[in-house]
Amino acid sequence: MRARKSKDRGAKKIETAIETAIETAIETAIETINLNVYYNSNHVIKSVSLQIPENVVFAIMGPSGCGKSTLLRAFNRLIELQENARVEGDIKLYGRSVFEMNPIEVRRQIGTVFQQVNPFPHLSIYENVAMGLKLNKLVKSKDELNRTVEWALKKAALWDEVKDRLNDFASNLSGGQQQRLCIARALALKPEVLLMDEPTANLDPIATEKIEDLIYELKKEYTIIIVTHSPSQAARVADFVAFLYLGKLIEVGPVEKIFENPAENLTEKYLTGRIG
Amino acid sequence: MRDAFSGTFRDTFKVSILPFSALIFGIFLLMLLVYFANSIQIFQKEGIEIYTTNKWIASEDPEKEFYGVLAAIYGSIYSSVIAVVIALPLSISFAVFVIDYAPSKLKEWFIIATDIMAGLPTIIYGIWGAFVLVPFLKDFVMYPIYNHLSFIPFFSFEPLSGYSFLSAGVLLGIMVTPFASSIIREAYRMIPFKYREAVFSIGATRYEATKILLSYIKPAIVAGVILAFGRAIGETVAVSLVVGNTFNIHPSLFAPGYTISSLIANQFGNAFIYEYMVSALFAAGLSLFFVGLAVNLLGMYILRRRVHE
Repeated sequence: MRARKSKDRGAKKIETAIETAIETAIETAIETINLNVYYNSNHVIKSVSLQIPENVVFAIMGPSGCGKSTLLRAFNRLIELQENARVEGDIKLYGRSVFEMNPIEVRRQIGTVFQQVNPFPHLSIYENVAMGLKLNKLVKSKDELNRTVEWALKKAALWDEVKDRLNDFASNLSGGQQQRLCIARALALKPEVLLMDEPTANLDPIATEKIEDLIYELKKEYTIIIVTHSPSQAARVADFVAFLYLGKLIEVGPVEKIFENPAENLTEKYLTGRIG
Repeated sequence: MRDAFSGTFRDTFKVSILPFSALIFGIFLLMLLVYFANSIQIFQKEGIEIYTTNKWIASEDPEKEFYGVLAAIYGSIYSSVIAVVIALPLSISFAVFVIDYAPSKLKEWFIIATDIMAGLPTIIYGIWGAFVLVPFLKDFVMYPIYNHLSFIPFFSFEPLSGYSFLSAGVLLGIMVTPFASSIIREAYRMIPFKYREAVFSIGATRYEATKILLSYIKPAIVAGVILAFGRAIGETVAVSLVVGNTFNIHPSLFAPGYTISSLIANQFGNAFIYEYMVSALFAAGLSLFFVGLAVNLLGMYILRRRVHE
């Protein structure tokens, strides 16, 4: 995979250049307009305006505590689970304000994979994936449910490992498998956007590579927004990178541009390890 | 037997806590033994019929004495099942309300209130039950239902006095709710936030999310039910004030009955006059050990498929 990526790099550069050129023509999946988030009086996200094109991997990177996860959770209004959080500004999903939508609908269209691997441990592998489908009444028959669960597990590159033990508890899977199960759980709802909050932070290098391969596959059909504290991961998986520092958006652009020629001093300092 | 912890400090500590654990277990065993020893007399006279018949013949003539506590066993289980059926939805709703919905400033007050409820002497409930709950249930619940639905066996007994299985069950349900609720509440509070996020991230409504999260703490709910049942079946004074104290095996909720613990409490004072009654009451008490064992086994059976992370 690494080899393939570096081989692709040349082709990708051209691709990126084209993309940049026609950026305005590309559909924007998520847009934030002057977004501010507060925890009580603590100002965590400061006037962030971002445009995230569809079908790309968009990485949000920055040091710990810079507000990356908070920003991510604002996109599908999961932030509202925090009692003391307050959001100002607007977030648009394909041009439509998420604050005018039912939060349940927003979360169905914008799936989430978390840093802390969290399949429901008391439910079976099958039930973990089927749960969201049942809740949202997305399938009409038992047969369709089975097919969709299988489809999602295949998409998440987990099917071959679990097809003979679908009724086993999710807690019996390895950490990497559990994380792919969480990806399957999110994909089953056929979201348009997939949020990933440091999805490999608690995984070993092999499991990490599998997830990164998967991200590469998934971006053909989904817009993936990944939060990472590791610039090298951002470089490996992303097409676009946003650098967030102390709640402020410092710089955003195509991955090559940011890594090879950052416009901001802070970005360069971060990438060279002088802050963070 | 060598392990990483077998240092001297650890061993001393182990040795110093051992007597206390042994003491608790020992007391339990000795108590069981006392109940067995004192029951032997009635078992020799009646055999298993002490548990399988409904007769209570106290006589000066030991030959004529006969005791069968089936009605009391039936009443104990019946009223405790009613109590659990009432307490379970109450305690789950209350737990969810306190954790998810109660304003944070009031939360602790709700918890303190239930702790006080749990700690009240049971006679307080008993008096309230006899003077307020029973007349209320009789006039506003039992008679209206009886007047319209008496063809259903559950409602087929005319609630003349109001003292009944239902009254005992409702009172017990109120009494045990704080216990069940505190176990369920603490388990619900301890659910890691990552699972709450996970539930909402797949588009659950609050109701659906609560349902899934409650299924996650099923062991605590089962434990709460077992505790509630245990408290209910062991409750004595309050029940004897509202259950009617009548040897009666009737399917109707509105019929008066007896329970093991109220039977023991009511009869023990004069039991020594008779040859066999003391032994019969010990045997009755022993049956509560068996019921407790059965309930715990049932709980383990319900949770048998559960594996821990």
